[in-house]
Amino acid sequence: MTPRGFDPASLVAGLAVCGLGTLLLLDQLEVLRLSFGYVAPALLATVGVILLAAGLAGRR
Amino acid sequence: MTAVPDQPPPLRRDRAGAIAGGVCSALGRRLGVDPVVFRVAFVAGSAAGGVGVLIYLLAWAAIPAEGERRWSPPRVPGSRESWQVASGIGLLVLAVLLLFREWDLWIGDALVWPVVLASAGGALIWRQSAATPAPPAARDARGPRSGGTALGRGALGVALVVCAGVVFLYLNDALRPARDVLLAVVALVVVLTLILAPLWLRLARGLAEERGERIRSQERAELAAHLHDSVLQTLALMQRRADDPKVVAGLARRQERELRAWLNGRPAAAGQGGTFAAALQSAAAEVEEAHHVEIDVVAVGDCSLDQDAEAVLGAAREALVNAAKFAGEHPVSVYAEAGAERIEVFVRDRGPGFDPGAVPGDRRGLRESVHGRMRRHGGEAVVHTGDGEGTEVELTLERRP
Repeated sequence: MTPRGFDPASLVAGLAVCGLGTLLLLDQLEVLRLSFGYVAPALLATVGVILLAAGLAGRR
Repeated sequence: MTAVPDQPPPLRRDRAGAIAGGVCSALGRRLGVDPVVFRVAFVAGSAAGGVGVLIYLLAWAAIPAEGERRWSPPRVPGSRESWQVASGIGLLVLAVLLLFREWDLWIGDALVWPVVLASAGGALIWRQSAATPAPPAARDARGPRSGGTALGRGALGVALVVCAGVVFLYLNDALRPARDVLLAVVALVVVLTLILAPLWLRLARGLAEERGERIRSQERAELAAHLHDSVLQTLALMQRRADDPKVVAGLARRQERELRAWLNGRPAAAGQGGTFAAALQSAAAEVEEAHHVEIDVVAVGDCSLDQDAEAVLGAAREALVNAAKFAGEHPVSVYAEAGAERIEVFVRDRGPGFDPGAVPGDRRGLRESVHGRMRRHGGEAVVHTGDGEGTEVELTLERRP
C-alpha cells in the first residue's frame, strides 16, 4: 500500500461538510431555527468552499 | 535533488495592474487567480447594500501597496482548476448575497441580480478582449479546441449581459408593452433555428472536413518534396555512379543516416549550428561533393533555423542540385540575405538555361520542391532563365513574427 500525501482540498471539504452537518443537527435539536433563507446560502457556501479549495490545491 | 515548491508572492497592492485601488489584483496575485473573479465579486457585493465597497475600502487600507512593477494575471484558459476556482468564488458570493437579502441589507431584486449578471458577463467579455493572442506555435500546441473555448467564453459573456438586460427590464415591468413583439421574435428565432440548424451543422462539418483535407494535402506535399529531395536524388546519383561501388555505398550510407534522422523527428540540419547561414553552407558543401561542381556561397546576415527558414533551405538545396546538374564546368553562385523579417536566396548558374513551360508535368523538382514548398510557407520562387542565358532562382520569404 502506498502512503498518501496530505491533501488540503480534502481537509477543507471535510471541515466544510462537518460545519454544514453541525448546523443542520443544531436545527434538528432546535438549538437553532434555520429557515430556507439560511440553509440555501449555507449549502452554496459549502459547495463553493469545496470547489475553491480543490481549484487552489490543483494549481499548486 | 528535491523540488522546492513555489512560494506565493506577498500580499501587496499592485498599482500598475490596478483598475481602482489594486486590491483585486493583489488578491489574484496572492491566490493565483484571475483578478477579474474578485472584481466581479466586489461589484456584486457592492450592489447588496454597499457591503462590497466597505470590504474593498477595508482591504485597501489593510493591504500595503507595491511599486510600479507590473504583474500579469495567470491565464490558464479552459483549465479545470480555473473553472473550479471561479465557480467556488461565484457560489460564495451568491451565498453572501442571499444572506444579505435575508437580513434585508438589500437594494432590491430588480437591481442586484441584473448587476450581478452584467458584471459577470462584462468581465468575461473584457477578459477575452484584453487577452493577448497566442503565437501560432502555442495555438498549435494547445490544439484546435483552444480557439473554440475562447469563443465560448466570449459568447457566454454576451449571453450573460443580454440576460441581465432582459432580467432588469422584466423585473422593472418594462417588458409588458413589448410582450407581444417579444413573443413573436422568440417564436421566429425558434422557427429559424429549427429550420437552419441542420444546414448550419452541415456547413460546419463541411468546413471542418475541408480544413482536414487541406492539412492532409499539405502534409502529403511536404512528404513528397522531402522524398524527392533526398531519396530520389540519391537514387539518381547512384545510377550515375553505378560503376564505382565505393561511391554508391557511401551515398547509400549517407542517405540511410539522413532518412533515419528524419524518421526519428530530428531536424535535417541538426549539428550544423542551428542557423540558416550554417545550414546553407552545409547544404552547398553536400551538393558540391555529390555533383563535383564548384559552389560559391555568400551569406549576409543570419537567422535561426525555424520551419520557414527550413523551407527556404529545402528549396535552395533543390535549386542548387538543379544548378549543379546543368552548370557544366562553370561554378554555381549562391547569394543569401537572412534577417529577422525576411530571407532571400539567389542561386545562379551559367548553364544552357531552359524553357520553364516545356518542363514535363511529372517532374516534381522545380514544381513541388521549389515553387510548392515556398508557396506553402507564404514565400515566393521566381525563375529567371532562357535558352543560353543561364538560370537564376530567386527565393523570397517574409518571416512570420
